[in-house]
Amino acid sequence: MAAAIARELGVEALVIRVSFVVLSLAGGWGLAFYAIAWLVLAVAQPRQLAPYRPSPKASSPFHRYLAVAMVVLGLLLALRRVAFFVDEIVFPAAFVVTGFLVAWTRHRDEDGVSAVVRILVGVVIGASGMIAFATLSSTNVVDALFVLIIAVAIVAGIGLVATPSLARIGHDLDEERQSRVRADERARVAAHLHDSVLQTLALIQRHADDPVRTAQLARHQERELRNWLFGSGDQSPPGTVRLGRALEEMAAEVDAAHGVPVKTIVVGDSSDLEPGAIDALVAAAKEATVNAAKHSGAKRVDVFAERSRDQVEIFVRDTGRGFDPTSTATDRQGIVESIVGRMERAGGRGAVHTEIGGGTEVELVLPIEVAAEPEATTSVQSPQPPAAAPVRTDEKKGQHR
Amino acid sequence: MIRVVLVDDHGLVRAGVRAELENPEVDTGIEVVAEAGDVAEAIDEVVRTKPDVVVCDVHLPGGNAPAVIRGVVDRGVTAKFLALSVSDAAEDVIDVIRTGARGYVTKTIDGPELVDAVRRVHEGDAVFSPRLAGFVLDAFSADLDAPADPELDQLTAREQEVMRLLARGYAYKEIARRLSISIKTVETHASSVLRKLQLSSRNELARWAADRRIM
Repeated sequence: MAAAIARELGVEALVIRVSFVVLSLAGGWGLAFYAIAWLVLAVAQPRQLAPYRPSPKASSPFHRYLAVAMVVLGLLLALRRVAFFVDEIVFPAAFVVTGFLVAWTRHRDEDGVSAVVRILVGVVIGASGMIAFATLSSTNVVDALFVLIIAVAIVAGIGLVATPSLARIGHDLDEERQSRVRADERARVAAHLHDSVLQTLALIQRHADDPVRTAQLARHQERELRNWLFGSGDQSPPGTVRLGRALEEMAAEVDAAHGVPVKTIVVGDSSDLEPGAIDALVAAAKEATVNAAKHSGAKRVDVFAERSRDQVEIFVRDTGRGFDPTSTATDRQGIVESIVGRMERAGGRGAVHTEIGGGTEVELVLPIEVAAEPEATTSVQSPQPPAAAPVRTDEKKGQHR
Repeated sequence: MIRVVLVDDHGLVRAGVRAELENPEVDTGIEVVAEAGDVAEAIDEVVRTKPDVVVCDVHLPGGNAPAVIRGVVDRGVTAKFLALSVSDAAEDVIDVIRTGARGYVTKTIDGPELVDAVRRVHEGDAVFSPRLAGFVLDAFSADLDAPADPELDQLTAREQEVMRLLARGYAYKEIARRLSISIKTVETHASSVLRKLQLSSRNELARWAADRRIM
């Protein structure tokens, strides 16, 4: 009930509860309000059960608390004129209750320091209430002074005794929360390691007599773990296809399928490329890479992609046995044709440089239509420098993994 | 003999690297004179033994490779550093190179390549892995703020060409043949690129590298 109101107002439920208790002191009016509020909300609830949304232009929490305090004070002053209201009792009692509740209730996410501050504030409010009660209810000035001194002494004593232990409790809770976070993190890491690394290690043990397969598993796992540790392209804005990411995936695939490590290096930003262009480039690069992995006999394949201002170049290179580019009968010639043909259909070109015993390098080039210089267009464009690839510094994350 | 100090926090890795560097089957001409497992130990050992080359892991207990390099330089000892790491995050690579390491290789490197890298660093050359060459191209081509010192903040056409071939997986020898220049000239280009990377006034390099980390 109090929680529902609190949610509506965006304050702690505690504040509302204190308000009701304080109002109850004023001749039981708080109880009446509570009942009325309960009825109203019970009726309204079916359609008003909207989840708590902190209103966007929300005033600071402090302002909201102040507002609630003012309302309560206003109600008190109004009730004062009605009945069952004794100034000397209600106001001091309100202070004492508020003070104690403030001192005793722990906030959800407070640290040791703010706990101590809260307790001290609560004690001070409570003490003022006691003092006010003592002063107002007594006619004898000396008596009042005496009571006051005793009250101050008691409160100070309680404060002195309780503060360190309360602070320690706050500290302990803080520590406990931190260790829980750490434990969660550890569990997450453990789960991941179990799913990935341990499984791979088990597989490696089973394939211990097959060095190629073992190396392949290890490499695959390394790639995966590296991706997990050092972040990944998953954070790239949705809808953008990244050449670097696509090439890395291609490399991992070829590696896994043919057992030859493929190293990719990507330079420059390719985030403004058409998905279709990237598909064509990656498909052609993949054919070249598979080709190298299958036929060259090289121990590894290097894939290098560079985006310059007006073109994308990809080089797929191996240091394997090479082949005779003039012989047309081999099936490799067909693959070469399909690489070159694919690039030409995409508006680029492809070339194969090879000689027997001298390795093979496939070169893929795709020109890019660079957007016209800003002053030449009337369209509204973001103020980018005309030269060189746009959106460079902030967009080209995620390519070097 | 090239005298080498090995710094890595994993004894097993040190043993493996030592075995490769001192491989008795091939005369590597390398002697490992000391090993260290953390930053303080590394600085002490390097100062004590004054080696030619320090092969140093990037992430160490008590700091990282740049801390070792700075500590050694502060004590007035000169040694050449070759960083050896599992990480090829741009941030780590650029950091280590900017502090003065002469090369950066990843732990996937094979034995003979590592021996070669140590030798080359000892002779004063720069050792670029294809990935490092890729980073360099990327960092220097990036549309950063106007360079303060064009001399230092840009690569010459030839240097770019060399870097591009390195990134494509070519060895120095192959690059020399392809560009019809001597290996020595290729090495000179690589060294001057490394010098630019170290001395370049572009603070943006660090930022560029940091950006790379978050992807």
